[in-house]
Amino acid sequence: MIKSMRRMYGIYHRYRARLVLSQVLVLIAAIATIGVASLNQQLVNQGIEAGDMSVVLRTGFKMFLLALVSGVALAGTAYISVFFSQGIGYVIRTLIYEKLQSFSFANFDRFPPSEIMVRLNADVLNVQNAMLYTTMLALYAPFMLLVTLVITIIKTPQLVWLLLLIIVAVLGFMAVLVPKIFRAYEERQERLDNLNNTMQENLTGVRVVKAFTREDYEVERFSKRANDLRHPAYDAAWRVAFLTPILTGVAQIGIALAIWFGGEHVLGGSLDIGQLVAFTQYLSLIVAPLAIFAIVIPFILRGDTSAKRILQIYEEEPFVLDREEAQPLNPEEVKGRIVFENVTFAFRRPDGKLDPPVLRNINLTIEPGEQVGFLGATGAGKSALINLIPRFYDVTEGRITIDGIDVRDIPQDNLREIVGIALQEAVLFKGDIRFNIKFGAPDVDDDVMFEAAKAADAYGFVENIPMKWDAPVAQRGQNFSGGQRQRLSIARTLTTQPKILIFDDSTSALDASTEGRVQGAIPAFSKNVTTLFVAQRISAVIDLDKIVLMEHGEIVAMGTHEELLEGNALYQEIYESQLGKGITAGLDLEVAK
Amino acid sequence: MTTATLEKEAKKTREKTVGKSIEKHDDTGKILGRLMIYMVGGESRPKFIVALILRILALSALISIPFLTGQGINVLSSATGSSAELKRWIVPALIAGGVYLGLSFLSDRMFSKLATQALYKLQTHLFSHIQTLSLTFFDRQPIGELLSRLTNDTEVISLFYESAVTQIIRALVQIVLTFIVMVIIDWRLTIAALIIVPLMLFLMVVVERISTPAFAKLQEELGTLSGFQEETISGIKVIISNRRQDWTIEKNKEYAVSVFDVGSKAFFTSLLQYPMTTTLIYIQIVLVLITGAILVIEGQTTLGTVIAFSGYAALLSKPLSNIANLTSTALNGLAGGRRVFSIIDEEPAVKDVPGAADYEFKGGHIICKDVDFSYVPGRKILRQNTFDVQAGEMIGICGPTGAGKSTLINILTRYYDIDSGSIIIDGQDLTKLTQESLRKKIGVVLQEAFLFTDTVMNNLKYAREGATDEECIEAAKEANAHDFIVNLPQGYDTMLTARGANLSQGQRQMITIARAMVAQPKIMILDEATSNVDTRTEKLIQEGLYKLMKGKTSFSIAHRLATIRSSSRIMVLNGGVIVEMGSHDELMAKKGFYYTLYMSQFKGKAPAGSEASTAEFVST
Repeated sequence: MIKSMRRMYGIYHRYRARLVLSQVLVLIAAIATIGVASLNQQLVNQGIEAGDMSVVLRTGFKMFLLALVSGVALAGTAYISVFFSQGIGYVIRTLIYEKLQSFSFANFDRFPPSEIMVRLNADVLNVQNAMLYTTMLALYAPFMLLVTLVITIIKTPQLVWLLLLIIVAVLGFMAVLVPKIFRAYEERQERLDNLNNTMQENLTGVRVVKAFTREDYEVERFSKRANDLRHPAYDAAWRVAFLTPILTGVAQIGIALAIWFGGEHVLGGSLDIGQLVAFTQYLSLIVAPLAIFAIVIPFILRGDTSAKRILQIYEEEPFVLDREEAQPLNPEEVKGRIVFENVTFAFRRPDGKLDPPVLRNINLTIEPGEQVGFLGATGAGKSALINLIPRFYDVTEGRITIDGIDVRDIPQDNLREIVGIALQEAVLFKGDIRFNIKFGAPDVDDDVMFEAAKAADAYGFVENIPMKWDAPVAQRGQNFSGGQRQRLSIARTLTTQPKILIFDDSTSALDASTEGRVQGAIPAFSKNVTTLFVAQRISAVIDLDKIVLMEHGEIVAMGTHEELLEGNALYQEIYESQLGKGITAGLDLEVAK
Repeated sequence: MTTATLEKEAKKTREKTVGKSIEKHDDTGKILGRLMIYMVGGESRPKFIVALILRILALSALISIPFLTGQGINVLSSATGSSAELKRWIVPALIAGGVYLGLSFLSDRMFSKLATQALYKLQTHLFSHIQTLSLTFFDRQPIGELLSRLTNDTEVISLFYESAVTQIIRALVQIVLTFIVMVIIDWRLTIAALIIVPLMLFLMVVVERISTPAFAKLQEELGTLSGFQEETISGIKVIISNRRQDWTIEKNKEYAVSVFDVGSKAFFTSLLQYPMTTTLIYIQIVLVLITGAILVIEGQTTLGTVIAFSGYAALLSKPLSNIANLTSTALNGLAGGRRVFSIIDEEPAVKDVPGAADYEFKGGHIICKDVDFSYVPGRKILRQNTFDVQAGEMIGICGPTGAGKSTLINILTRYYDIDSGSIIIDGQDLTKLTQESLRKKIGVVLQEAFLFTDTVMNNLKYAREGATDEECIEAAKEANAHDFIVNLPQGYDTMLTARGANLSQGQRQMITIARAMVAQPKIMILDEATSNVDTRTEKLIQEGLYKLMKGKTSFSIAHRLATIRSSSRIMVLNGGVIVEMGSHDELMAKKGFYYTLYMSQFKGKAPAGSEASTAEFVST
């Protein structure tokens, strides 16, 4: 039980003293609170019944002081609890994030970004809550109970049974209500997600709804789901609302019972009235902490589940590691000759087993400064192949060399300085344009950036933005069109001035003429740089030095456009389909949005 | 002179702001009223009144208990007290306790039912209204933003109904009843009990003033942090390939520190409320006890009354702190209500004119005359579009991005109304027809193959109410979708995950084509997808599209050569103006705008290099 939460506390061994202090404060608060109640005895017996005003005032003052002490002690606990709960949030957020930065692509295949974000958001909050409640409240009720029980046994042993009865009653009611509330909340959340998904689909598909005039059907569907939501919402709501009356009611009934049964003892002379009044006060004091205790438990359990999920990431090891004997190359001296020797590659499944290979027996030599295109349908293995060069993944069999050196013998950081890649999904980051273009090489001169932007055909449109290179970029670059993002992303890659350049379908959102301009400008910018283009459109590779045609994870043909058009049936088919009588890639100069 | 003007200006501004704040104030009352109607209006009213009466009765029972137990104590402290006398007070107290629990149970259930019902009514009202709104409304903000606003607003409103309203009502009734009983029993003790209330309220307001904005700030900081994390994790490949892990780690730390600082402040201040209120309640009880003790010693009251009052003090203070806690919930609910009602009050931009006729299909002859259109006033997207399309003609539309191709489709389906000019369809003015009758005859296939999270069959049936399974399967066969559908795990009953993600893009397109066929449209409008699909799928899609358009008047934004070639005519748009219109061969021969577009994709490697043979090549 709660093993993972204990490990979370383990992170805090440095602050053990603070944790202990917080619990001491909780104990003090409990004692002070009960102390206020127990002073009632003195007030009633020696003060009121005896008619002694000075005792009344003195006792009153003591009660006042104790009330203050309990308040201050609780505030102190709250302060430490907040430190722990916010602190654990900070620790997880930074440690996990740091861990993520050491991951390789294969790790991210196991933990997709959406799942990681859930762990970094909802799970962290759950752990924080659990930490807060355990530190502040987990021991408050037990301490109060303990103190009350001890006092009752000493002072009013006749009424111990009633104290126990009230405890059982409160915990019993809680045991009936609280799990149902949590379950109802969970169900409510599930149905709320359902409802929100319905709404989302409706809003995203508004044109489809209108096209088929199905507004009535949509309303009907939404109403049904909204109605589904009502029941768990109701189940939770009334029980939550009913908690207050239950606690108030049980306390009042307890007091009445105490006066009745305790009263019999008072009338019989075995109990004095002050003791009885003090006892009624204990009863009303312990009810609330008991209830809170019951409410806190599910939060702690939930925190534990979340902690476990967070630790999963923390314990994950990166798949691609630097070899100990790895030696950095001097980027200036790299020629850029790439050789694939009998390369086979398969993705690893979450259970550790290998999927069927996506690349088989790849043998390929790319000469320094060559421009090579990789063509093939989705799933042919083009992207998998080029991902192996900068070691985003490691080969399963065979090896890849750059200037004769196995890429696994080069430190990753150094390797990626040599190999620059522009990805298909052109992600930009929040900041400004300059920051984004210089993302891979923050220290280069603006001139390099300008030249890179010109080669990527981005210079013109950036110059047309009022703030030019300081123009803000929204999260993920959403304030730019797909084509603009791709051009900025290409400029970003060019700015790093690598020795090997890879374009992984990174011109897909550009129209044919822009694509042509970019491809034409790159060799001028990156002189003597080995350049690889991955593409689905024939127009993107038509004029390169060499085209590598791939299908089902294998290289089926290699050569220039003319050679392939002459000698390869598959290439002919693709050509026919795309430029003959199929898709007209650039016909409308359409730039994907 | 200038100072006078300045003063006038200043006065105007002041008046404006004053006017605004008054307006805002009025508005709050109105919003509250409108929100409450869903809970207490119409058929809910009698239930609400019953629940309220039950609540008052329950709380009356509760408030009698301290008095009764106090009398019990008096019996004990009197010299002549007897067991029977004690029972006379305590048994009613126990009964009152039972009554309180029972009636509270009933009224809590009733209030909660009313609250969840109110939310349901509001949600369905809002949603039904959104269905009537035109695309202009949806264009105003990204759908994601609209969605998150709507979900957030309904969530705060649900809290408003389910906790704020229910609990504030309970708290108010309890405060009023307790106060009345206290004053009746002993006004001096009442003062002793109340003397600390202003301090309590003051402190609670202070805490609220600090913690509410602190929580808002925390939300903001958390938003920044998780925005950054989401951005960098989904863009992790860029980070890795650019070797910027160290930078992101530092940046993340910075944001996490801000969250820590703000979070600590927010949580600490709000957590202070608990020790503060409990301590103040103890102090309040101490004050009652001391005052009471003095009064008892002076013979002005009884011990029982004093003990009863210490109970009343708590019964008064707890609901007070409750209300303080719920203020922000209530205010958030009102703010959510204001936004929701602004949508409910929105008028659809495209409306059927009074006495609009149903569209009568007579072959599909469409005339556009001098059509101007703009999404934003003053920024014309279409200018002076004039064309005449005969019944049964297939029109391909092409042109650069932003030329107005999609817009042309939007106005033909009357998703938007045109600014000026006229669209006459089979002799009937488009603006004088009902939208429903029009859209039942005009089929649309959109660029994005949007499918619902439902079975394949239900997605097909979506196109027409009452479509049979056989009709849908027939359509799927026509659209070449049948073969892969039957190979899906559950055939036509296979669930499509969110937005049809478990199908390939080509397969999704084929289903949307089949869906359009189920609708049995008379006129077709298509926005072809630009996606790259393999050559075999491409052929199947083309066949489906061709069958869909055959024999009908059709418009398609053409990305496919096959579509272009089989078009009767191609409409070339540029900058919102039709620059060329004619068959492919005619336009190629003309060597105009279309010719340039067409040739650009060959990068000078067009077969045989000559223009004449290119034209030939395509037309074979």
